[in-house]
Amino acid sequence: MDELILQLKNEIINVLNLEGVTPDDIADDAPLFGEGLGLDSIDALELIVLMEKNWGIKLENPNQGREIFASVKSMATYIEAHKK
Amino acid sequence: MSIYIRAIGNISIQDTLGKSSLEQAIAYAEPHVRCIEPDFKSYLNPMMMRRMSRIIKRAVVSSMVCLQEGGIEQPEAIISGTGLGCIEDTEKFLSAIIDNNEKFLQPTYFIQSTHNTISSQIAIFLKCHSYNNTYTHRGISFETALMDAFVLFKTCRIHTALVGGHDEMTPLYFVQLQKLHFWKEQVHNSLTICTGSDSQTAGALAGEGSICFLMSDEENDRNYAEIKDMQLFYNIKGSEALLQQIEQFLNRNNLNSSDIDVFLCGNSGDCLTDPLYHEIHRKQFAHSTYASYKNLCGEFFTAPAFGLWSAASILKNGKIPDIQRLNNVQTTKIRHLLLFNHYKNKNYSLILLSSCGY
Repeated sequence: MDELILQLKNEIINVLNLEGVTPDDIADDAPLFGEGLGLDSIDALELIVLMEKNWGIKLENPNQGREIFASVKSMATYIEAHKK
Repeated sequence: MSIYIRAIGNISIQDTLGKSSLEQAIAYAEPHVRCIEPDFKSYLNPMMMRRMSRIIKRAVVSSMVCLQEGGIEQPEAIISGTGLGCIEDTEKFLSAIIDNNEKFLQPTYFIQSTHNTISSQIAIFLKCHSYNNTYTHRGISFETALMDAFVLFKTCRIHTALVGGHDEMTPLYFVQLQKLHFWKEQVHNSLTICTGSDSQTAGALAGEGSICFLMSDEENDRNYAEIKDMQLFYNIKGSEALLQQIEQFLNRNNLNSSDIDVFLCGNSGDCLTDPLYHEIHRKQFAHSTYASYKNLCGEFFTAPAFGLWSAASILKNGKIPDIQRLNNVQTTKIRHLLLFNHYKNKNYSLILLSSCGY
């Protein structure tokens, strides 16, 4: 799981162009939206594309988004359970 | 109403940002040169920066430096010219469409790929609610933006304006244009590209830049120069007709060709396009100092913006850098400068500048 979380953090930094942010700066449980990294709705779309492109997971139900993208850890948990 | 250049922000392939003149010209020996970029982090918040394409970062920083020098926070108009706009992110978006078989398209690249949003993005950054517009008219994009500002000033609708020319030359676009023989195969010394052995070959040096001007109708000791007049021409048949147009342009400003102290042209060292400049100089401005600027900035759609920076610098400092001279005519006092550029011998622009007080 730790390896997956680290990989995910690197992917998020890369795809969201978070210059100057390192994986250590992102706490596993910290909120991605609002507080924490302070991501916005465009970032949410980027994360949806990331999930599909890098992990083959297509999010069919938009209502799940809030729960899945709550933190890096919740994303990793979802990926672990659904990756193809 | 008079129009003055109050301040300038210039990001180019030379070390020009925050400088009113060229201290040390940098020579390049390659056909494609990218801008010397400032440390964007010292100007922009990283979270804000991640939504800006490279050209927007350059445009915003050159605008910031320009406005800071001019002591104005909110111009009454923001007008930009760009040949291609945010081409780097356009390429990323289009490449992703091909590479991923039209799937997984990233929204950020899509948003940042819009070519005509430079002025509006500067306006958003400055929280400036006044008029803004971005012109994408290939080789006369900057001059068209300048013309818009010129008309707004002359009709007394604005008193200040931020006018800029912005273009980036990506490796991919460089290669595309290379196939069309836009660029030289080899460049031995960019600084002597208009006079040395490089001037014997076809093509130009590929450059890029982001150059902003704060224009004002207010007389001020800090002003660089006055923009007296400008005109754009299209598809003039033959050099004689062009000479006639230039003479008419000068006459409407109560000048004739003998009043022009410096004839600053868009020579790019291309043996196919430079002869027109030589001919106009020889027939109409042989008595004037003949000078170039693209040996400093390279060729790009909005290179005339660098030409305007060079013209303003010459008039403010009262001297022409030796590296820009194409003849040996000496001028004791520079009063009037004519900036002339042509794009593919189809689009022509004339900008008449005078030193402040003339």
